[in-house]
Amino acid sequence: MKKYSLFLTILSLLFILSCKDKNEGPSTDFSITFSATYGAETLEKNKDYTFNGFPIFVESCRMYLSDIRLINADREVIISDVEYLDFTPENAVSASPTIVFKNVPEGDYTSIRLGYGVSPALNAKKPSNFPAGSPLAIENDYWAGWKSYIFSVLDGKADPDNNGTKNLSFSYHCGSDAVYKTVEFFTPIKVQADAFTQASISFDMKEFLTNDDGTPYDMVNNPATSNDAGNVVVAQALTAHWGRATRVRQ
Amino acid sequence: MTTFLQKNALLVVMSFIAGFVFLEACRPEDPGPGPNPTPGDLEYIVYDPQTYVIPKPTFFPEIPIPADNPMTKDGVQLGRRLFYDPILSADSTMSCSSCHLPEASFTDNKKFSIGIDGIAGKRNSMSLLNVAYVTDGLFWDGRAATLEKQALAPVEDPIELHNSWDNVIKKLKLHPTYPQLFRKAFGINDREEITKELAAKAIAQFERILISSGNSKFDRFVNGDVDAFDDEEIDGKLMFFDEGAAYNLPDAQCFHCHGGVTLTGGKFFNNGLDSVGNLSEFKDLGRYLVTGIEFDKGKFRATTMRNIALTAPYMHDGRFQTLEEVIEQYHDNGFGVVNEGAFLNQIGFPNGDGTYSGLTEYQKKAIVKFLHTLTDTDFINNQDIQNPFQ
Repeated sequence: MKKYSLFLTILSLLFILSCKDKNEGPSTDFSITFSATYGAETLEKNKDYTFNGFPIFVESCRMYLSDIRLINADREVIISDVEYLDFTPENAVSASPTIVFKNVPEGDYTSIRLGYGVSPALNAKKPSNFPAGSPLAIENDYWAGWKSYIFSVLDGKADPDNNGTKNLSFSYHCGSDAVYKTVEFFTPIKVQADAFTQASISFDMKEFLTNDDGTPYDMVNNPATSNDAGNVVVAQALTAHWGRATRVRQ
Repeated sequence: MTTFLQKNALLVVMSFIAGFVFLEACRPEDPGPGPNPTPGDLEYIVYDPQTYVIPKPTFFPEIPIPADNPMTKDGVQLGRRLFYDPILSADSTMSCSSCHLPEASFTDNKKFSIGIDGIAGKRNSMSLLNVAYVTDGLFWDGRAATLEKQALAPVEDPIELHNSWDNVIKKLKLHPTYPQLFRKAFGINDREEITKELAAKAIAQFERILISSGNSKFDRFVNGDVDAFDDEEIDGKLMFFDEGAAYNLPDAQCFHCHGGVTLTGGKFFNNGLDSVGNLSEFKDLGRYLVTGIEFDKGKFRATTMRNIALTAPYMHDGRFQTLEEVIEQYHDNGFGVVNEGAFLNQIGFPNGDGTYSGLTEYQKKAIVKFLHTLTDTDFINNQDIQNPFQ
């Protein structure tokens, strides 16, 4: 009986050890600085840029990212469930928020995956489901009509006639599960305390407004996303550009 | 005995008075007002802060509470008294509530509020309903980051209460009641510890409880009482929230600036009120005065739509008397000023060429009728937020 007990104890110990999370090991704080650009320039609110041969400016540029994962052959580490990035806050012409992710396992990662918008599981909830201060408690970026968070906002004005008057308003508000998109970027990212603790990710709004074939998006005929929850044509077309518009660097 | 009392009535009365004065003077618990109060003169009062849980509708988000000003029952009660007490004004004639009346959803229904000297301010009194949720800056221009900072301003504004905080604090320290209330609210040891910052914290605590009841007609409808709305109100709601596509109703685009459950975007817009040749021509430069950003000229904070029918006149300068006038103004699509809100010229059905159809008279009327469903009489009648001196 004693022998059996010892055997069972050893077996249990081995079982527990075999189940131990492979992710355990040294970890460190790891920060990512997010920014918005227009081509090579940092995006600034109300600054004129050239799009398709005519001037435009941006009034609002903000977005949600969710399910941010660092990936290598051994593991996928979710470093954040959701983040809210406002590149044109109320009190400044631009912003490049730096977010510190706590206790990120050290290692050599081969890629990072971003979810553009709010992942479906979280998007099924509402701001009242989250505590104050949570990125998902922001009332103004939830739209009951879609039963969805507004994943990304790009508002501004354009002068397609080049007559000196920006009389075309564009407002691209993308949201709903049908628009959610994940992209994996195969950029090596090393996480190591005191040595490799940061990276940067930028979003180029010029690329966001450019089709895959290099032609400019038809802003004149499609100046806004539809408010019809069943019509996500414009939102999906633009969201498809995120992969090309995103740059990951370390 | 009778003879003795009759003969010495004056002596007896005087003895009683002397005794009373002696006892009062010796009472250690309350030295009373005086120029040099005893240190620790409030320590006899038990400081036992009880958390105040702000009643709110279940479908409202959590209320942000700053870590350095937790809500307590005594803090709220002190704030309520200060809010309604004219002691804050130089001539003791006006209080915060003079321009923020409960029955007007904490506005004053005037174009501009009038201060103690009879001078009118330059902006309309803002509703305080759900002000606890405002995080992008208070006042029309967002110049106060927090309620605690906001509460400091009107006291010393020469066209409002025209007082000095030094004077207010002096009066509060000498007051027969307030020192004890400050002790209960904040645990101060003696009246010398009363400060303007504590007064502002208390007022902010009271203002944080000014939360919707959740019982407006609109709330009942969206929470399942489908009979709460008639067809016209439903149409108005669908257009307000741009949800009408399936019902052949156009977008009124209202919710972009007045969104979320509080219907308060909290952000700043040029909503197309004035035609100006260049942005510097705005009579009131608004948000620009805070940020210094050129494109913020003429921008003001979007107000809450809840109780909007109770808060006329409208806009930062109170220029419109009715909601019908407001809807007409938006329907005119602004003046093409470069920093006008992007949605101003997207009202109606898209025509396919970047222009929009606008709204019919019925549709405008339906939106106004919908706005009336946002009236929350349970809120304005809530006894916990009324004047405690009445």
